[in-house]
Amino acid sequence: MKVLIVDDEPPARNRLRQILADCGDHEVVGEAGNGREALDIAARTKPDVVLLDIRMPGIDGIETAHHLNKAETPPAVVFTTAYDEYAIDAFDASAVGYLLKPVRREKLIQALAQASRLSGDVLDDIGKQAGVATHRKNICARLHDELRLIPVTDIYYFIADQKYVSVVHKDGRDLIEDSLKSLEEEFGNRFVRIHRGAVVAVDAIDTLRRDEDGRTRVMLRSGNSDDELLVSRRHVANVKRRLRKG
Amino acid sequence: MQESDDKQTQAYLPDFCAAGTILVILLVAELVAILLALVSYTPDTFLTELSKISMFVLWLALLGTGVLCQIRPWAEKQGHAGAFVVCFVVLEILCLLLAEITWQLTDMFAEAVIIDATHALFLLKTFAASSIVIALAMRYLYISSEWRRSILLESQSRISALQALIRPHFLFNSMNTIASLTRSNPQQAEEAVEDLADLMRANLNSSSDRSTLKEELETAAIYQRIEKLRLGERLKVIWDVADLPMRALIPSLTIQPLLENAIYHGIELLQEGGEVRVTGKCIDGRLDIRMSNPVANERARKAGGNQMAMSNIRQRFELAYGHRASVEVTETDSEYSVHLAFPIEEPGK
Repeated sequence: MKVLIVDDEPPARNRLRQILADCGDHEVVGEAGNGREALDIAARTKPDVVLLDIRMPGIDGIETAHHLNKAETPPAVVFTTAYDEYAIDAFDASAVGYLLKPVRREKLIQALAQASRLSGDVLDDIGKQAGVATHRKNICARLHDELRLIPVTDIYYFIADQKYVSVVHKDGRDLIEDSLKSLEEEFGNRFVRIHRGAVVAVDAIDTLRRDEDGRTRVMLRSGNSDDELLVSRRHVANVKRRLRKG
Repeated sequence: MQESDDKQTQAYLPDFCAAGTILVILLVAELVAILLALVSYTPDTFLTELSKISMFVLWLALLGTGVLCQIRPWAEKQGHAGAFVVCFVVLEILCLLLAEITWQLTDMFAEAVIIDATHALFLLKTFAASSIVIALAMRYLYISSEWRRSILLESQSRISALQALIRPHFLFNSMNTIASLTRSNPQQAEEAVEDLADLMRANLNSSSDRSTLKEELETAAIYQRIEKLRLGERLKVIWDVADLPMRALIPSLTIQPLLENAIYHGIELLQEGGEVRVTGKCIDGRLDIRMSNPVANERARKAGGNQMAMSNIRQRFELAYGHRASVEVTETDSEYSVHLAFPIEEPGK
């Protein structure tokens, strides 16, 4: 099996590598010190299993697992943790593979044998029970094998054209695999639906304007003239309400 | 957390509604009555005198207990000394009221003979005698409640010191590091085990309330060495403490838990790590220690994490120095900083 090791502490990674070397029939395809690196390496090496630490700087283990899930063939995830009492309860409740550090060889072998893919719902559950943020802080866009993480705070809006959803952000525009509906649900506290095909960051909205035809348009702070989005009639009231709330 | 602490330590007054308390109060009241009767002892009148005084004192005691039972929750809110002042005033008013009623009653039944004084003199006498007795009683209750309170505070801080011993998270991570080093770098693993043992020992010995700054800083340095193995370059600690008198006392296990907090909530969550800065100075005969660390700003910090260690440290400083010490926390988006200020005290002084 191809295994990817993710932990921000070098000794913890070494230890897992040593044990895996002992058992023989697993190949370590990479090591990552944080969530972003893990996603890059996973996209390139397509591991079968990812051993994932939970407490990591930047993108933590739970969010990393969410992103890993978006791959075409997502790897199985086994969490490793030293002592997160709430998380452990959550894993038990959701029957997810986890290993306690220092990891025992038998436990690791057992976990690898049983490793299964986690559904997004299970991750959400764990996040909720463990009191970790349940929504992602980044959106993941894929260009062939390259992976781009876009911080949610940099995003102006999501727009659906025909089949695909694009995300328009500070540094450009990317295609993503999420659906508008799921995005709206996940980021409802920050974003607002203005149209059947568009969800906009409330913070990115500068003003609402009526055009010559009497239709309402959203002017974005980015100042780009392309960035005037139509607000459909049935969403106008809601958009205004959200803007007043700030 | 804070609130429940307050509730436990705030019971200044005894529970006047409890049967046991009432019994003790009545016994004491009767003793006072006997005492007063003995003062003017003459074989003929002793028993009449005693029953008169007993009747008055017991009525006062019962009435007073009843009223105090009712107003106790309110009186508690008036602060420590305030609660007892309230009780004193209430009891005095009751006493004068009772004295007045007694006077009126005896007058009505034309038996003023039992009271051999004028109206004013009678009230004055009662007032003076009761003031002394009630003041003594209140003083006694005040001191015993203070004593109870300090015992409670001390045992609480003992317990929380035990709880705060070392975060399990740290212990297991260190074990993991050592397990890893055992193969790759046995010598380092050996040192780490020694360090961990020293740290545990320092923690277990922490039952002594205070240690010298030198010992405290050494414990913190050992802790830093272990964390350094795990975090590598990400952890930097700048110690600017050369000006501190190393013999001065500090509540034990203050610096190390603060450093632990700084790492757990700050450095560990920063991709590039960061710098914990500890500065110590002597200002006007007081020690002034500041520890600050960067924090990840985009992360919604979970409340509750820091509180445990901080409230523990606050408690122990209050116990050791009362109002002469201050423990302050300042928090911005990018920095967390703790400021301790307390008097310099050296062992044997």
